[in-house]
Amino acid sequence: MSEKQKNRAPINISASDIERAFKKVEEFQKLLKKGKTRQEIIKDLIKLIEIEDESH
Amino acid sequence: MSLTETIFEIGSKLGIPCVLIGGLALPAYNVGRTTLDIDIAISVRTQGELNNFIDVLSKKGIKTLQNPKINHDLFTIFGKNNEAEIWLKPCDAFNWDQKMIKNTFIIEKNMKVLSIEDFILTKLARSDRSSTDINDIIQVLIANTNNINWDYLYYRLNWADVKEDFENLLNQLSLNGSSKFQDDVNKIIKEYQKSKENQNNNDN
Repeated sequence: MSEKQKNRAPINISASDIERAFKKVEEFQKLLKKGKTRQEIIKDLIKLIEIEDESH
Repeated sequence: MSLTETIFEIGSKLGIPCVLIGGLALPAYNVGRTTLDIDIAISVRTQGELNNFIDVLSKKGIKTLQNPKINHDLFTIFGKNNEAEIWLKPCDAFNWDQKMIKNTFIIEKNMKVLSIEDFILTKLARSDRSSTDINDIIQVLIANTNNINWDYLYYRLNWADVKEDFENLLNQLSLNGSSKFQDDVNKIIKEYQKSKENQNNNDN
């Protein structure tokens, strides 16, 4: 095993991880059904992260 | 214009392939979660190309405190109020190849992302892989079972030497998922098994 691989977290998936994953996918689908696009969601996330920088 | 948009605009003008990676790219694959990181991977072939990219960023007021070299994994850039990590490879465990660049797709204006399969690979192969990466992969698999090019994913899993990890992930999905998700999980496993058989048939 390489040094890099040693740092990888072992894969441990619980029943609740799976339950949550399905729920989250369903929630995202609901957002799309409401008319929100994937592009808009990315833009919203960028707005959330970035403080407006008027110099650019 | 945001820092992220500025980076993609510069990349596009200079003909440097740029892709959004990490949590911010997830909505491109029909998955979402909050993140505070901006991670962008660029593909530069020479030190001169990298220096030029940094010079143009600098003219837009975006600086780096490092002295990035072509063989580095990443460097950090700072706008007036924000920062972003610029990766020189899509993942610290592997480098770009032409197929990977060709398979990127536009998600918005100049903004591109990796193919679903290559994105999964960046999450699975990264050296500091966390449980968040594994949860992201599970969601991407659920949301894209019918859109994934399973033969290409199988090829990449072998290429990056993470096939065993992926099979372990599928095994745990199968063993630990409740019965109400079993059909969806079985479909994911069936698609993967099909691609594995295809590859074995091609090899024989």
